[in-house]
Amino acid sequence: MRHLIAILLQNEAGALTRVTGLISSRGYNIESLSVAPTNDPSISRITLVTTGSDAVIAQINSQLQKLVDVVTVEDMTTGDHLARELALLKLQVAADQQDAAAQVVHRSGGKVLSTEPAWIVEIAGTEDMIAEVIATLSAFGEIVEVVRGGVLGISRTGRRAPTAR
Amino acid sequence: MGSAPHPRAGEMMTGAEMIVQVLVDEGVDTVFGYSGGAILPLYDAVFCHNEATAGSMPLIVPANEQGAAFMAAGYARASGRVGVALVTSGPGATNTVTPVRDSMADSVPIVVICGQVPTSAIGTDAFQEAPVPSIMGAVAKHVFLVTDPTRLEATVRTAFEIARTGRPGPVVLDIPKDVQNWRGAFNGSGHLPIPGYRQRLNRVGANKLSESACAALLAALERAERPLIYAGGGVINGGAAEALRDLVHALRIPVVTTLMGIGAIDTSDEMAMRMLGMHGAAFANYAVEDCDLLLAIGARFDDRVAGNPAKFAVNAKFIAQFDIDVSEVNKVKHVHWSHLGSLPEALTALREGARRAGFRRDWSAWHRHCDHLRRTYAMNYDRASTRIQPHYLLEEINRLTRGEAIISTGVGQHQMWAAQYFDFRSPRLWLTSGSMGTMGFGLPAAIGAQFAMRDRVVIDVDGDASIRMNIGELETVTTYGLPVKVVVINNCGDGMVKQWQKLFFKGRLSASDKSLHKKDFVKAAMADGFEFSVRLESKADVPRVVEEFIRFPGPAFLEVVVDPDAGVYPMVGPGQSYDEMITGEFIASRKSVEVVPPGESEMF
Repeated sequence: MRHLIAILLQNEAGALTRVTGLISSRGYNIESLSVAPTNDPSISRITLVTTGSDAVIAQINSQLQKLVDVVTVEDMTTGDHLARELALLKLQVAADQQDAAAQVVHRSGGKVLSTEPAWIVEIAGTEDMIAEVIATLSAFGEIVEVVRGGVLGISRTGRRAPTAR
Repeated sequence: MGSAPHPRAGEMMTGAEMIVQVLVDEGVDTVFGYSGGAILPLYDAVFCHNEATAGSMPLIVPANEQGAAFMAAGYARASGRVGVALVTSGPGATNTVTPVRDSMADSVPIVVICGQVPTSAIGTDAFQEAPVPSIMGAVAKHVFLVTDPTRLEATVRTAFEIARTGRPGPVVLDIPKDVQNWRGAFNGSGHLPIPGYRQRLNRVGANKLSESACAALLAALERAERPLIYAGGGVINGGAAEALRDLVHALRIPVVTTLMGIGAIDTSDEMAMRMLGMHGAAFANYAVEDCDLLLAIGARFDDRVAGNPAKFAVNAKFIAQFDIDVSEVNKVKHVHWSHLGSLPEALTALREGARRAGFRRDWSAWHRHCDHLRRTYAMNYDRASTRIQPHYLLEEINRLTRGEAIISTGVGQHQMWAAQYFDFRSPRLWLTSGSMGTMGFGLPAAIGAQFAMRDRVVIDVDGDASIRMNIGELETVTTYGLPVKVVVINNCGDGMVKQWQKLFFKGRLSASDKSLHKKDFVKAAMADGFEFSVRLESKADVPRVVEEFIRFPGPAFLEVVVDPDAGVYPMVGPGQSYDEMITGEFIASRKSVEVVPPGESEMF
C-alpha cells in the first residue's frame, strides 16, 4: 500500500542524508519527497511517499525513529488527513485554444502565471486532479515541462502532529 | 550529574583542551589512536594533559586505525564503558569505518573522534579530506560534524550520551582542525538538544511491564509444556544477566543463547543449553525444535539463528519477545507477545509477578528431555585422531581458564569452535564480531580488553587467515607489555570458506587455501618482540605447551598446526531450517540428513 509519512527532523548537517540513506540502504523506495523548514527554524518537515507491505512500512517507521535527528514520525495514511501537491506546467498553447485552456486552468483553481514566451501554469490539488489537468491541457497544445513539488500531507486533527509511537 | 559548577568552568581553553576535559569528565581512562595532520591539536592536548596528570589517560598507538577503533570496541565490550578512538582525517577516518559498522551491528558503545580538514577547506578535495559525515552517517549510530566551536563541548558530551544509552552504538565526531585550535571559555556542562531521541529513550525507559502483560505471559507459560528462553546480546548490553539468571532459577526455564548472548548465563548452569543457530549445539537446536513456548530476550531472530524464519521454533505455539529496540519486534518473526523496555527491570518484574501470583509449574519432564538431548547429542569430535584437533586444543585451554578468561576471536571456524568449546561463567568475557563477521577483530579487541581489565587473562583465539588481517597489532602487544595470549589455530587457509566450498561448491577451493604460503608465524611474533613464541605440532605436547603458554607472565604467542580438514559441526546451512541440520561424523543426529546445497540466493 502507498503511505504518506511525515517526519519532523532536526535541522542538522547531514540529517536529510541520513533519512534518505536509511531508506535506500534498506532497500525501500521513495516515490516522492519534499523537505522544508517548519515555523520552528531548527526543525524541518519531510513528507515522504513510499509503497510497501504493512510489515515494510512498520519497519520504515521504526527504523526512522532510531535516527537521532528525527523528532517524530507520523504515518499520515493511518489517520484522517489531507494530501496536496503543487505543480508548475510550461506549455505552448495554440492561439485559437487559449480561451479554452485558460478555462480549464481556472476551473481547477489554478493560475496562469505568464503567457509569453510560453504559458506557465500553477496548479495545486490532489495528485489525481493534477494528472487530470495535465491530460486535459495537453489537448490544447504541447506540454513542454512539468514540475511537481511532491505530495504534502497534514492531519485533520485539531492537535499538533502526534509524537512518534 | 551534580549541580555544582565544573571546577574549570569559565576557563579559557582551546577546543582540543575542551575535548580532553570532557573525556576526563566522562571517565575515559585510556584512548586508542593514530596521529596525523588534522588531529595534531588534540594529540598535543592529550600529551599536555598526561604530562600534568602523571599519564592518567594513556594514548595507545596501533599499527593501523582499524586496530585503534577495534581496541576501543574491545575495551567497551569487556568493560561496558564507552571506548574511545582518536584518528586523523581522510585515511585515518576511513580506516575506522569497519570497526564503526562492526560496533553498530553488535551494539557496542564507542566514540570515534576524527580530525577533519579546516572548515574553510571542507569540500575542496583538500589533502587527507574524506566526507566523513556521509560515510559514517550510513554506518554509525550517529555522526556529528562540528562546525560551530561554541557547540563543541556539548557535542562531545552528547556523543557519549548517545553511544551508551538505549541500544548502545558507535558515535563519530568529525572535528575540523580550526575548531580544535579555537579558543573559548569552557562551560563545564550542557548537552545538545536531541528532543526526539531523548523522548523516545525516556518513553522506552519508563515502559514498565504492566500487570496485565505479565499476567498474559504467565498464563501462556502456565499452558506451556516445554518453554525455552532464547537470550541474545541485548541481555549483556542491557546489564540484564543477573536478572536473567534469577528469573531462570525462579521459573526453571532452560536457556539457549545466541553467539552474542554467550555469557548471558553461566554456560555451566544446569539450565544452560549453550548456543543455538547455524553452528549451535545440536542439543540446543533440538531444544528449539521441541519447545512449545519461546521467550526471546534481547535477541533478534537474525539469519544465523533463524535461517528460515517460517520454520524457526516450528512447534512453538507462543513466542514472546523482550527488547529495547522497537524495530526488532516483528521484524523477522511474528511474535504473540512483546515488551519494549529496559531488560533488567522487565525480567525482575516478571519474576516478581510470578512470585506474587504463586506461579508454580512443574516442567520436570521437559528438564529430563533437555538432559537427554544434552547427553545424546553432545558436542564431539575426532578424539582418536593423531593430528591436533582444534576442539581438543580449546578444551585443554578451557581446562586451565575455567570460564574466567576473556576470549576474543577472529571470524571463521576457530570462532565457532571457541563459541562451542569454551565455558563462560559471566558476561563480557566473550568478545567476537557476531553480526559483521570482521576477520582481524580478535587481536586488537584483545588488546583493548586487556587495557580495560588489567587483571583478567585475555586470550585472542585467532585463525591463521584472520590474524593476518591485523597482524601489525602483534607489535602493539609487546610495545605496551600486555600479557595478552595469542593463539593461532593454523589450518592453512580460510577454513570456513573451505568448509562451504567442500559442501556446496564440489570442493573447488577457490582462493581459500594457504598451504603453500611461506609465512612463519612464530618468527613473525618473535620479530615483534614476543619472548614466548612457540609452534605446537604434536598432539602429545598439547597439555604441556598450553599450560606453559597460559602461565607465561608476559605477552605470549602460540601457533597450533591443526588438522586442516576439521569441520565445524553441527551446521544448519544458510536459509535452512534446524530440521536440515547436519551434525558431522562425531555428533549424533536425530535423523540422517543429506547435505543439500541451499538455494543460490540464500548462499551467504
